[in-house]
Amino acid sequence: MLLQAIVNGLLYGAVYATIGIGFSLVWGVMNIINLAHGSFIMIGAYLSYTLFSAYQVDPFLSIPLVMAVLFGVAYLIQRYLLNLVVRGSVFITLTFTFGLQILIANACLLVWSADYRSINLPYAGLGLELGGLVIPYVRLEIFAVALVLSGLFYLFMRKTRVGVAINATALNLEGARTVGVDVGQIYALTFGVSAALAGAAGALISPIMSINPFLGGPLVGKAFVIAILGGLGSTIGALVGGLVLGLVETVGTVLLPSSFQELLGFVVLVLVLVFRPQGILGKRFYE
Amino acid sequence: MKRSPLILAGLLVLFALVPFLLSGFWVRLVTYIFMFSVLASALNIITGFTGYAAFGNMVFFGLGAYTTAVLMTKARLPFPLALAGAAAVALVVCVLLGLILLRLKGHYFALATLGAAEAMRQVVDNLTGLTGGGQGITLPPLRGKPFLVNTTFYFLMLVLLILILFVAWRLSKNRLGYALKAIRANEEAAGVMGIDTTRYKIVSWCLSALFTGVAGSVYAYWFSYIDPPTVFDVMWVVKMFVIILIGGAGTVFGPVIGAFILETISELVWSRFINLHLGILGTIIILVVLFMPNGLLSLVGQGRGLKDVLRSIRTGENRI
Amino acid sequence: MSAIILSGRGISKTFGALRAVWKVDFEVKQGEILGIIGPNGAGKTTLLSMVNGTLALTRGEIFFKGQRISGLKPFRIAELGISRTFQIVKPFPGMTVLENVSIGALFGKDKIRDARQAREKTRSILSKVNLQGREDEAVENLNISERKRLELARALAMDPELLLLDEVMAGLNPSEIQFVMDLIKQLNREGRTILVIEHVMKAIMGISQRILVLHHGEKIAEGNPAEIRDNPDVISAYLGQRYSRMRGSHA
Repeated sequence: MLLQAIVNGLLYGAVYATIGIGFSLVWGVMNIINLAHGSFIMIGAYLSYTLFSAYQVDPFLSIPLVMAVLFGVAYLIQRYLLNLVVRGSVFITLTFTFGLQILIANACLLVWSADYRSINLPYAGLGLELGGLVIPYVRLEIFAVALVLSGLFYLFMRKTRVGVAINATALNLEGARTVGVDVGQIYALTFGVSAALAGAAGALISPIMSINPFLGGPLVGKAFVIAILGGLGSTIGALVGGLVLGLVETVGTVLLPSSFQELLGFVVLVLVLVFRPQGILGKRFYE
Repeated sequence: MKRSPLILAGLLVLFALVPFLLSGFWVRLVTYIFMFSVLASALNIITGFTGYAAFGNMVFFGLGAYTTAVLMTKARLPFPLALAGAAAVALVVCVLLGLILLRLKGHYFALATLGAAEAMRQVVDNLTGLTGGGQGITLPPLRGKPFLVNTTFYFLMLVLLILILFVAWRLSKNRLGYALKAIRANEEAAGVMGIDTTRYKIVSWCLSALFTGVAGSVYAYWFSYIDPPTVFDVMWVVKMFVIILIGGAGTVFGPVIGAFILETISELVWSRFINLHLGILGTIIILVVLFMPNGLLSLVGQGRGLKDVLRSIRTGENRI
Repeated sequence: MSAIILSGRGISKTFGALRAVWKVDFEVKQGEILGIIGPNGAGKTTLLSMVNGTLALTRGEIFFKGQRISGLKPFRIAELGISRTFQIVKPFPGMTVLENVSIGALFGKDKIRDARQAREKTRSILSKVNLQGREDEAVENLNISERKRLELARALAMDPELLLLDEVMAGLNPSEIQFVMDLIKQLNREGRTILVIEHVMKAIMGISQRILVLHHGEKIAEGNPAEIRDNPDVISAYLGQRYSRMRGSHA
């Protein structure tokens, strides 16, 4: 039972990592806590659902398209809207992204209604059986794709010109400006990448979760915890944070009554914030 | 912002007459607006004056509501005692939370308080023996003719509003207010100049928590039914933030003005476009943050036209 | 024979492997003006920050009027009668000049309770630093010289027995520097002890009764201005060993 929970936790944790990486990126680079991140995930999930129900496209195959759409939408939002308030206080940016979130949620509500939607894959019930453990193929696929995405992101940030520019802007805004980096453009690209990852995460969870427009909120909460646990500015940190969260959730359900999970989560969060604000792997350079 | 005492007195008289002039629906609506004014003003103390964005301030509202409900149903206490109990609980929890969380800054503080509110919601949800869990609690209602009941709660909220406006007004002038403003402006420099920042931050949050908790208490008695999702609703805090933005953070009357504006729009929209409610609220939020981050009055006060407003967005202090 | 108002023993501050301040001993007599000089990065500001509590000591102790203050929070130290200015000025944004300085009166050593009383005291201080008439202006509108004087006024409003000044003359023109020099001497005549960090050599030599020299975090010399001027270690620290040897052959 426990072992199954651990396996489930790890498998799911990879998706959390994908959610956390994008969220942490925007926070680290622009100091914006994007409360709309969850709604980006939902858009991804809904797009996947639509492609599946209308054209029978397997959700995993829809990922590139979903990512592209979300990248485009988010790029425009950042470029022409968010860039206007990006230097505001916590108060300003949190409120703004909250407004964005409910706007998007309402849009999803209009298009897809409040009914729970789900994707039933033909191979949903199949899986590996090792010893007493059950590992559904779907979850394995999710895990694999999530890892690949994380790896691609890591390479993107280290090896591509854009990635390096984003890093530079995060570390030293003035310095980046001085060497000719167009900060507005970089921010837009960053937001786009973050949303693309969120969309991919949405597509990944669409086969295993019932979708409704209001799941975005709790997901942002998780993204926040992952970002804190793993530490800002670290892809590997977000990965670790995601896996840890996945584990804590599944193992926690086995060991504790589910009633007090949020309380436990809150206590852990506060402990981390007070005693090790840089998280497990992060560096303290984002204040 | 200097207002002639005459205008204030006039407004007070006007508001006092409302229950006798308008129907029950309007009285209840204005009472609701008063409540949001109180909540926004309370939030303004810790956020607008002191600079700590308490995204989870609803935790005190919920605690106030539930303390009152439990005391009135389980301990069969009369409302005044239950109210006192709610105030006490809010204060105690605030001190405890404050000691731990007020050392966090910026986003961390904001979201940690949100975590606290969510955790509290879940705890309340799960202590079914005490709180009825997801079923909520039904309080013994105030008995009497609808007119009397409406009017009682109307004046209860109005008195609460007057009290907190008085506190806010004093804060804009007195020593405590100076300390809070300094903390918001530059906490490190404030410390160097002799301000015990920890103590003042806690005092500030406790003032905020007190009024928020009492408002929750009155709300519980007024609506006679509460459940966790309603009294710990994070949407309320966001509305409070928007109200503060519209009215101007750190001002005395801003939250009241903002509450009236937002709730009026909300009422108009709700009755006609229920399924667009969220979207319109979201759009309002975005527009307010873009166009008037310093409050409506900063926009209107200098007699600026639309062109000036648009230009100010392009050169605004919050943009890249 | 003057009493010792401030003393530090074995003061060290390390950041990881970096020794910002290392094993410094010093004493400040009541009523004197002590200058602190040294090349950039010598640890002068770090030392000052440890006195007023902004930075915690890694090792060592600091005493003020016989009471141990190392380890106290900055606001406690401020209440005891120590105030400072910052090298990079930190005025309170969004507040007026008067409000900024009033904070000092309200929360400094005297802890004036009444806001109006504090504002009155503030006005007299503002005229001392030549900012009278600017009470209601937003601090954002002040130029660098005015901001430096505002910073000084804020520290003064706290009615300090010990005043710590960190490069208060940087960025000022000669007449402004003279004004500040005269002001410091006047404050000293009022009975205040003053620690001054400065790079403007003429100024600090002109007002200090004694000078402390730091280099790479360590105290390398101490004495009156004349002694310091001719001290070969000091010259070497600022100008390099070859120059020092050159000068040595002159003397």
